[in-house]
Amino acid sequence: MSLGSSASVHGIGRPHFQEELAGLEHATLGGIDLVLGQIDRTVEALRHQDVELASMVILDDDRIDGRYLEVHQGILSLLARQAPVAGDLRLVAALLHTIKHIERVGDQCVNICKLLPLCGNEPPTVPDVLELVLRMAVLARSEVAQSKLAFAQRDAALAEDLVRQDHQINTLQRDIFRRAIEIGEDPDIREWAMTMTLVARCIERIGDNAVDIGEQTAFVVTGLFREFSDSRGDGAA
Amino acid sequence: MTPDGSTPKTAEMPSDELLDPRSTPVRRPTPGPAAGAGGASGTDPPPGKQAYAVRLEHLRAFYGSAEQVKGVDLELHANQVTAIIGPSGCGKSTMIRCINRMHEEIPGARAEGRVLLDDANIYDSAVDVVAVRRAVGMIFQKPNPFPTMSIFDNVAAGIRLSGVGRGDLPRKVESALRGAGLWEEVKDRLGQPGIGLSGGQQQRLCIARSLAVDPEVLLMDEPCSALDPIATLKIEELIDELKRRVTIVIVTHNMQQAARVADRTAFMLSGELVEVGLTKQIFTNPVDSRTEEYVTGKFG
Amino acid sequence: MSTPARSSGSSASTLAAFAPSAARRRRDRTARGVIAALTALALVPLVLIVYYLLQKGVGSWSGSFFTSDPTGASFFKNVSIGGIRSAILGTIEMVAIASGIAVPVGIGVAIWLVEYGRTSRLASVVRFSVDVLTGVPSIVFGLFIYITLVVTDLLGRGLAGYKGALALSLLMLPVVIRSCEVILSLVPDSLRESALALGAPRWRVIGRIVLPTAIPGMITGILLAVARAAGETAPLLFTVGGANKLSFSPGGQMNALPLQIYNDILSPTTTVINRAWGAALTLVAMILVLNLIARLISRRSRLA
Repeated sequence: MSLGSSASVHGIGRPHFQEELAGLEHATLGGIDLVLGQIDRTVEALRHQDVELASMVILDDDRIDGRYLEVHQGILSLLARQAPVAGDLRLVAALLHTIKHIERVGDQCVNICKLLPLCGNEPPTVPDVLELVLRMAVLARSEVAQSKLAFAQRDAALAEDLVRQDHQINTLQRDIFRRAIEIGEDPDIREWAMTMTLVARCIERIGDNAVDIGEQTAFVVTGLFREFSDSRGDGAA
Repeated sequence: MTPDGSTPKTAEMPSDELLDPRSTPVRRPTPGPAAGAGGASGTDPPPGKQAYAVRLEHLRAFYGSAEQVKGVDLELHANQVTAIIGPSGCGKSTMIRCINRMHEEIPGARAEGRVLLDDANIYDSAVDVVAVRRAVGMIFQKPNPFPTMSIFDNVAAGIRLSGVGRGDLPRKVESALRGAGLWEEVKDRLGQPGIGLSGGQQQRLCIARSLAVDPEVLLMDEPCSALDPIATLKIEELIDELKRRVTIVIVTHNMQQAARVADRTAFMLSGELVEVGLTKQIFTNPVDSRTEEYVTGKFG
Repeated sequence: MSTPARSSGSSASTLAAFAPSAARRRRDRTARGVIAALTALALVPLVLIVYYLLQKGVGSWSGSFFTSDPTGASFFKNVSIGGIRSAILGTIEMVAIASGIAVPVGIGVAIWLVEYGRTSRLASVVRFSVDVLTGVPSIVFGLFIYITLVVTDLLGRGLAGYKGALALSLLMLPVVIRSCEVILSLVPDSLRESALALGAPRWRVIGRIVLPTAIPGMITGILLAVARAAGETAPLLFTVGGANKLSFSPGGQMNALPLQIYNDILSPTTTVINRAWGAALTLVAMILVLNLIARLISRRSRLA
């Protein structure tokens, strides 16, 4: 039973409450936009080994933390004053979880950007591996964007589809790991390759958080919480 | 977060949810000289007992030709609290007044269908209305202790009026007052007029009055609407205690109250029963969209 | 209408803005004056009556006035011009008999109207009849008894005390029914409901809950009916026949205060006329006492 986007429900009662709830959802999904920007810039920094861009990403994480606090406070206030129930309550719980996942995605971007300077300004790169990492990052970006769409449209099927994309990310990560092991003897290259595996781990975590947001979408729609199968395991793609 | 596979939404959770240890009834104590001694010593509340379940089968209630309750089928589980919620005029008060046959006291009112009290139809022609009302007590919205009577006499009034079990009144009165959580507050002034108490105390006095005749079911028609929040809270705690002894049905306008006190909740709209289920289900994930709209405040 | 010019801040002018206009004050005073004058006008006859009664009646009051009959017979020594003993005792006895008939019947009808009949067609008819009877002139009741019992000698010969009592009871009945009905319907339905919900049969609800709550108010109404009956003359005229001697038997003629007054006031003898005034004062005093008792009892009532 779908209520559609909560912003479009015009009930007879409680207009202020509905407005406030819609505002919280808007702020949360806006947080995803913020985080998408962070991912984009992280990808750029990775592609060009741009340490300055990376430090900007790190600084900008404050905005995402601020958004988290804002939504968190707003939800507490709403719970205390308005006592939401049923669909509204599920939405509030989902928003609380989702903003946390968004904040974690932001943190993962920061982690990636912190790893970049370790490679030095002109690291030896292995193009194949870099290509895989960038592909992973682009996939993760599209996962996050899709999770936002699924939530906004209350589309449980779209949310479940995130698992498929996440499988691809997992496959890429294993690939990168394998290549890093076989990278050769050069210690500089080896060091860079180790860093890339760490970067890949962070990107994989971004993907996991996007899937978690998808699970929240399914919870709002169906009223039952369940973990999407095989999103974390080593199951075949 | 229970992993639940791909089960579609249902109004009923699996049955093991019902065995909430809080609502497990204690078996009815065997009658004997030692039984029922709960009031005399110490401050123990009266023991629990297995109460009746109530079942409404296609109940219809009329005021003249106007049908106020339109074919309700509802089961009220023994020793549990069931809340009836719904907008004004949906027929919830009318419906519960059919359970103790008070509805027919209104001129021109009548009821059809069956109401089964422990599998006995109270609308059967062989049934004595007065006996039904002894087994099914009622608490009203406005506390109404008898104005000419003292506290003691008020509680004893039920026993005296129904003419049943007049022996040992002081012990029965004390037991009833303990059951209503009022004994400590009034034990030193049992002779004072009942109307001298505060609103919340008066309502608990009315509860004690009903408990004194040892009912199986207690119907409560918005019992806290006229009370302040503290008194309301006390009565809600009392309800939680009382369900060990009686089956409780509470009609309330206050959805938060229903959410707090009731094990199960039924939603009525325009004389029909729309949905019934575990309270937590109704308030987190109701099945019917009308229920969803009502509890989230979109109408009503 | 004077509206002071608006100025900011000053509280005196704000106060003036709220003050009533001079024209309104004039109208207020005029209206008060008119009402006071009308009230005084209404009180004048009352004051005059009381004054006359006291002035003319007190003089007759004495020990022998209350203890001897108009015939002269007395508890103590016989006197020549008697008092009103037989009248007082006769009034008391006849009113008591009348009450004994009217009060139980009246309460019964009132209970039926409020508890059982309620909105039924029959109840409406009964209520209407009671209203009509309240307005029937008291002499009609006397005439009714006269025609049915006195002329026909149906239940005993001629004029008799009990026949007068019957006429009085007919007079009292609608008043008792009316006032008891009002009081009973003032008992909140919530009391009946909660008593019924406890599992009480209806007659017990009425007897143990409704009536005890209503009794003080009903007693007030009944006493007022009694007071009225004590003062009625017309019903007694053709039914009792004011015998002067003391008689306790209601089967024969009896004396009553209104009759005594009626007979005595037309007498040529001054002392007899004075006796009439004394009797009138006594009657008013008795009614006053009854009213006071009724008022005291109604203070204890929780209903009205």
